[in-house]
Amino acid sequence: VANKEPAKADVLHGTLDLMLLQTVAALGPLHGYSIAARLEQVSGGALQINMGTLYPGLMRLEQRGLVRSEWSVTETSRKARFYTITAAGRRQLAAEKAEWARMTAIMHTLLHNLG
Amino acid sequence: MDSVREWIRRLWGALHPSRGDRDLEQELQSHLEFAAEEARRRNSDDAARNARVAAGGLSQAMDAVRDQRGVPWLDDMQRDVRYALRGLARNPGFTAVAALTLALGIGVTTAIFSVVYGVLLRPLPYADPDRLMAIFEVNSKGRPVRLAAPNFDDFRAQSRSFQAMAMYTLPYPKSVSGAAQPTRTMVAAVSPDFLSVLGVQPIIGRDFNASDAHKGASPTALVSYGYWRQHLESSHDLSGTHLKIDRTTFSVIGVLPSAFHFPADVDLWLPADLEGESLSRTSHNYSAVARLAEGVTVEQANRDISTIARRIHDTSNEQGTSLLVDGRVIPLQDSITGKARSALLLLLGAVGFLLLVACANVANLLLAQAAVRERELAVRSALGAGRGRLIRQFVTEAFLLVLIGGSLGVMGAVWGVDGLVELAPSDLPRLDSIGINVPVLAFACLVSTGVAVGLGALTAVRATSGDLRDDLVNGARGQTGSQRSQRIGRLIVAAQMAITLVLTVGAGLLGRSLMKVLQVNPGFRVDRILSMDVSLPSVDPAAKPGQARFFATLIDRLETIPGVRAVGATCDLPLNGGHPDGLFALLGRNDMPKTMTDLRALFQQQDRLGTADFCVATDGYFKALAIPLMRGRVFDPRDDADAPHVAVITQALARDRWPNQDPIGRTIEFGNMDGDLRPLTIIGIVGDTHEYGLDVPPRPTVYVSLFQRPRAAMSLTMLTDADTQQVTSAARGILKQLDAEIPATFRTFSQVYSASLGSRRFNVILIGFFGITALVLAMTGVFGVMAYSVSRRRREIGVRLALGAARGDILRMILSQGMRTIAIGVATGIGGALALTRTVGSLLFGVTPTDPLTFAGVTLFLVSTALVACYLPARRATRVDPMVALRDG
Repeated sequence: VANKEPAKADVLHGTLDLMLLQTVAALGPLHGYSIAARLEQVSGGALQINMGTLYPGLMRLEQRGLVRSEWSVTETSRKARFYTITAAGRRQLAAEKAEWARMTAIMHTLLHNLG
Repeated sequence: MDSVREWIRRLWGALHPSRGDRDLEQELQSHLEFAAEEARRRNSDDAARNARVAAGGLSQAMDAVRDQRGVPWLDDMQRDVRYALRGLARNPGFTAVAALTLALGIGVTTAIFSVVYGVLLRPLPYADPDRLMAIFEVNSKGRPVRLAAPNFDDFRAQSRSFQAMAMYTLPYPKSVSGAAQPTRTMVAAVSPDFLSVLGVQPIIGRDFNASDAHKGASPTALVSYGYWRQHLESSHDLSGTHLKIDRTTFSVIGVLPSAFHFPADVDLWLPADLEGESLSRTSHNYSAVARLAEGVTVEQANRDISTIARRIHDTSNEQGTSLLVDGRVIPLQDSITGKARSALLLLLGAVGFLLLVACANVANLLLAQAAVRERELAVRSALGAGRGRLIRQFVTEAFLLVLIGGSLGVMGAVWGVDGLVELAPSDLPRLDSIGINVPVLAFACLVSTGVAVGLGALTAVRATSGDLRDDLVNGARGQTGSQRSQRIGRLIVAAQMAITLVLTVGAGLLGRSLMKVLQVNPGFRVDRILSMDVSLPSVDPAAKPGQARFFATLIDRLETIPGVRAVGATCDLPLNGGHPDGLFALLGRNDMPKTMTDLRALFQQQDRLGTADFCVATDGYFKALAIPLMRGRVFDPRDDADAPHVAVITQALARDRWPNQDPIGRTIEFGNMDGDLRPLTIIGIVGDTHEYGLDVPPRPTVYVSLFQRPRAAMSLTMLTDADTQQVTSAARGILKQLDAEIPATFRTFSQVYSASLGSRRFNVILIGFFGITALVLAMTGVFGVMAYSVSRRRREIGVRLALGAARGDILRMILSQGMRTIAIGVATGIGGALALTRTVGSLLFGVTPTDPLTFAGVTLFLVSTALVACYLPARRATRVDPMVALRDG
């Protein structure tokens, strides 16, 4: 029944949305498992996102109108819910990417030039 | 924007879960299957299990998604409410006691608050009521008094603090004819700008204007909405509406709004200047109301008026104790509610206290409940329910209880307020503005919410303090905390018992006084008497013989009504305020006073003087009221206007003034009562009557004959076997034949009798009500604390039983524990009652403030009731199954 387990989710909070959006935007309609698998694969196993984090995140994006979803069938004929990015999602992604780049540039400068 | 949209969707999701749990679960299931499939591909042994471990638990994920889907607390709340309702339904006895206790507390508080709000807080129904001020003179004793007309004129002309200032007289009764029926109506004379100062407009017709008040203007009047509805047939055309007062005809020019009652009880307003203005600065005939000018504060206005008042005081040639020494400005609302304020606030404080006690009781009950549920709490806690979650559960339960109790209480208050208004002493101002309205309901909601939050939080924090998971392991919990809370609980109960005892003793003493009063023989008949108040126009002293003839005819005619056995008349009905009293002088055979000088000389001789009440009556009055003749005779037809004037006296006077002598045949001079100097010869002695109230000793009284000493206003008394309605309408018809313009008011004598006990009855009911409420609360308190204690000690009781204690021993043990608390409370209460009942000594009649019978009776009653309240939990203690108690704790 415990619903306030902030530690894990909050760490990922800012970046999780961005990662999910980027994955869905780059690879087109995906179901939840393949999104998680893709993130794990790309990060070389460093990012293991469990269901309790993944699905609330996807639902949050959907509630904000950044992705939409529908039930469909995989190549192997299994039923799954597929997520697609929306126009608003692309705009949001572009904005967040730019912000992320700006932030990392600042951090880079900070960490290297003040050493 | 996005987050706003997210929350809108969340709310929507919470209320309309379009993606149902099944949909979510399917998605998660498919996730697990994908994971298992992949694991199989990698040749893992226990693929499904590994997948689940890797992906996190299904149910936890479901919870997380659900939380994201809806509004978590809204979902939780639904669950909490469902859960709490189940809990309350499982324990109907507990729920009923707790809800009724709260209903009592909240209901009583709401009812009293509605009175406080209506009388003290509700703004007066006039424009900008907080700018309205009452203005007073201050007399040499520092007390505010009403204004003399010239002083008012100076205040109005010289002050700069007010937009406008108006004056008005106290209401006075007048016989008013010209409407459907002649009436006795309260009239006030007001200055023409009276209504415009208050910001009130007539709903029909026009307001007074300055010319209405000029000498020689045609007389005009404004009527109240009630008078217009009842006596003027709600006619919208006032052009032909005229009313006659003392032979002057007034045109009705307007009707005031239904909410307008100022001054209280007035139905007819006349322009003041027609009344003839007094030029004296020491005749305090008027009240004044004024509207503050823009930006002026009450203090500034006070200084302004005070300066003018002192100037009048210093320059006036009417020096003396009646001349004003200062002036004062008080907000109008305060001046109206003045005397009632402290009493009402005291009452509100008292019920607030009752509410607190009710809350303490319910808290005890909830704690007892929580103790029973300890295991359940421990299990839920072990399953991952956080402390916050458990606290929320308790608060939800408290809210539900308060919701039930509060609704019942407010319903009770709606019903109770009517009764309260009916019972309230009629001198309570603004009675008509009391009721259950939006602000009162808001207050009830506020109080209920406060109670719910307080109760819930208190119970929750108490019940969930300490590590609940340890309880599951140990099967018991540390006793220190609970012992402290039990001690507090017992202290509260003992205090309640003490307060209840004081209140119940008070109610008992007042109740016994009332019974003693009812046993008093009033000295006259109370049943089957119908009284008829008749007032003749009182303009001309020369009309007196006519008045006597009028009443003689009226009495003769009334005697012909079928069923009427006897008809008499008196100037003042008994139990209705009493008679005027004065000094009389005893006359010798030869010293008839011829002049005022003789009279004054007579009244200088102390040994010849006596004091008595003076009452004008007829022979039929003694017959109708069955006042017994002791000696001599009462009035008869020989005693007409031309015969020597005679008097009948009461036993009390005979005893006081002529001990061991015969008063019959003696002559007295009592002319200062009605201005008639003719001496009175005593012809008879009648029984004593309690004129001023059953609890006031009979007073020495002199009766004179109506036909020798006529008066304009008399009460006719008819002893009748017939139906009151029939006699009333017959009597009304007879009066109308004699003179269509004279009003009559009818009352049965039982009404007068009952009204004379009104304030005594009100006191008994009020304190009795508080006593009963306190009693009920104290009993639920005892019950709650004992139930809590028993549920705490189940394990101990189990051990005792297992070790061979008999059930009777357990019963005795629990009862004696309860009785200790009760004994402390009762002892304190008796001490308190002995100290406090002295203060109501003046309200008692026939019992002493320390009446042993009342004290013993009340104590016995309280202790036995408390025993019953202890017995129920104690009996439950004897039913503890040792095996179960030892196993479960």
